[in-house]
Amino acid sequence: MKKKLVIIGSGPSGLVCAMTAVKCGIPASDIIVLERENELGGTLNQCIHTGYLKNLTGTELGSNLIKAVKKLGIECRTETCVLSLTSDKVLTVISPKAGYVKIQAEAVILATGCREQSRGVLSIGGTRPAGVLSAGAAQRYINIEGYMPGRKTVVVGSTEIAFIVARRMAIEGGKVITVVEPKGAPLGDKKYIKECLRPFNIPFKLNHNVTKIYGKERIEAVEICQLDKKGKPIKKTKQKIECDSLVYSCGYTPDVDIAIDAGIRIKRDTKGPFTKRNFETTISGIFASGNAHYIHKNIDKIIKESVAVAESVAKYLQKSNQPKKEKKNEDNAHVNSENKE
Amino acid sequence: MSIKSYDVVIIGAGITGTMTAFQIAKYSLKTAVVEAGIDVASGSTRANSAIVHAGYDAKEGTLKALLNVKGCDMMAQITAQLGVHYKKCGSLVIGFTAKDLEKLKKLKERGETNGVKGLRILTRSELLKMEPNVSKDAKHALYAPSAGIVCPYDLAYAVAENSASNGTDYYFEYKVDKIEYDGKHYTVCAGNQKIKAKYVVNAAGCYADEIAKMIDDDLPFEIIPRRGEYMLLDKREGKAAKHTIFVTPNEKGKGILVSPTVDGNIIVGPNANIVDSKADTSVTEDGLDEISKGARIIMPQINLGAVITTFAGVRPTPTSGDFYIQESKKCKNFIHVAGIESPGLASAPAVSEYVVDILKKCGLTLRKKRSYIETRTPNGNCKLFYEMTERERKQAIKNDPRYAKMICRCEMVTEGDIINAINRPISAHTVDMVKRRTRAGMGRCQGAHCRTKVAEIIAKELNIDISEVKKFSSNSNLLLGKTK
Repeated sequence: MKKKLVIIGSGPSGLVCAMTAVKCGIPASDIIVLERENELGGTLNQCIHTGYLKNLTGTELGSNLIKAVKKLGIECRTETCVLSLTSDKVLTVISPKAGYVKIQAEAVILATGCREQSRGVLSIGGTRPAGVLSAGAAQRYINIEGYMPGRKTVVVGSTEIAFIVARRMAIEGGKVITVVEPKGAPLGDKKYIKECLRPFNIPFKLNHNVTKIYGKERIEAVEICQLDKKGKPIKKTKQKIECDSLVYSCGYTPDVDIAIDAGIRIKRDTKGPFTKRNFETTISGIFASGNAHYIHKNIDKIIKESVAVAESVAKYLQKSNQPKKEKKNEDNAHVNSENKE
Repeated sequence: MSIKSYDVVIIGAGITGTMTAFQIAKYSLKTAVVEAGIDVASGSTRANSAIVHAGYDAKEGTLKALLNVKGCDMMAQITAQLGVHYKKCGSLVIGFTAKDLEKLKKLKERGETNGVKGLRILTRSELLKMEPNVSKDAKHALYAPSAGIVCPYDLAYAVAENSASNGTDYYFEYKVDKIEYDGKHYTVCAGNQKIKAKYVVNAAGCYADEIAKMIDDDLPFEIIPRRGEYMLLDKREGKAAKHTIFVTPNEKGKGILVSPTVDGNIIVGPNANIVDSKADTSVTEDGLDEISKGARIIMPQINLGAVITTFAGVRPTPTSGDFYIQESKKCKNFIHVAGIESPGLASAPAVSEYVVDILKKCGLTLRKKRSYIETRTPNGNCKLFYEMTERERKQAIKNDPRYAKMICRCEMVTEGDIINAINRPISAHTVDMVKRRTRAGMGRCQGAHCRTKVAEIIAKELNIDISEVKKFSSNSNLLLGKTK
């Protein structure tokens, strides 16, 4: 199969890229969106809280974007996983419906989003029983599966999702004993502490960390400890707290496995691909957008960037389809200003 | 109630027990393996260094020395037969001082006496050529080309599945609490459950002494539970070491190593601390500090920021220092296979042959089976999607489209792989059982993304509610009921 533009990922960034690409003159029939999950929309599908654009819920925003993309006649394939991407922009993809397929693209947008980091829980001593899970997984169990992963929970880490999941568990009748953050300031926006924790009387402790997990089969308790200025536990503040679950949320990292395998260079600080001012990675014709590019502060910034990425891709395709003149690489001379090392 | 009767019952489904079952399954015998845990490789076999030691460590003339070298030689054939990843990557023991060099020379001599082939002392420049990331302070190294790496539970699954395919019965969560002997038959009991056998093999690892006590026997040594903690690094660091690298051993043992794993990660560890409980597999902050320091001695630039998981295992260390494989002096036809600490993995093939020899001497008749299945299952060795060639992948998807449904992107595990693991001779019916058989959830996100999906697939395939799916054992439910 041949396509002018292949977009990997159908979260907000991928969908906005697809819509904008059509607006910029790329024919809808030349675009394909590939999604690994069963549904389009990415993480938006499990975000039933408001706060997206003009106070939409995540699911509302998702369904609006999906409708718009479908109306434009852009092909979106779900349950479709990209196994590999070469520097010649050949994608190997698999899906139960279409089987094993190769796609030759002229341009590719990496809109694969991000992953939760698990690093924060690795240094915690003790056992590894059931009931220790990431905030994203907890959110999925509650909002999509309709099951409670715990009823007496300790949360470690203070991203927005940590606060939102704490609130969600409290609403569902669970008890959130405390939210602790090893650092001296919350990772997520402070307004969420006010909105999510205070109404439910959930205590929030900075400079505290979970230092030990107890329980052989299912988690039974955790040890919480205050940290000194160097981040070392102050032993006399140790406190054992009974709980049946530990939810962690220690930040995100761009999902760049496909990019790395393709040979795209990754930045040390953002952990996302190096990009030029036009969002092109170190392989010509492969672009990065949204959280796959770097972790954005909020959805508005992702959408704004995604529009700009699609515009750049349209320019790139126009240029490469013109009869060959001398190539002018003005875009290549600079590094994306927002993304400097 | 009629009690099921066997020729041989093996107590313990660790690498020693399953490997013994694998050897016995070649013969026309009725065999059962009973295991206290929920799965094969639930104890020491689950968490160790995953090293096939060459055999230069064990003292000359010991059973350990004999069986280590022989087991290491047998590993290539067994792993090839059953489709287990095994790599003869070689090992290096590095030395920093003149004193270390003396020790390395002695180690080489010992190895040669034990029958290890190809041992060589390397100069600093030879060493740095082979391992550019090793400490620049290292001056010498002992190179053992016959050492290798293998995944211990994958090997245990392979031999267990093969034996199950050849008719061996497996009983899990069968915690032996009583053994009766009427002078002819043993009745091996676990609560209300009972099975009978003429021969019993005690391969209970850390608990071998307790099993011995059940027939009023006492092992002539103590089994001390020694915990080793480990860290596993991301595959992106996988090229940091090409060989298994040790420092020169001291009185405390082989010390902390840095090694590649067959799956492309780097493993760092272990320490060796005596613990109170044989089941204490918790990791400690101090322990992780200790192995981090040890790793940096070998490789100062090692990226310990790339740790994806930490774990600990408990080893059955015999105070006698050697393996103990003998018929009980109290009861006939009861074979103790005890004190199998490191290098128990490397030795397992040879240990199992040794056990079969003892059984034969005790009078067990060994007649080769006519319809012996060579592979893991009657359907072959069950290649995983990530192991397949492009052609094999296309074919697998054609036969079953579920092989085109990606579940764990980190380790490239498909729904087809998971369903296969659930339906194999020893069914993977919990999330961790699926994980260890397919690698789903073993990558850099450690299952944050796929654990839910694996649970969904298990629920669907076994026709149970998702809230009944366990992480590993009976009381480890992932979920606690419906939301409001």
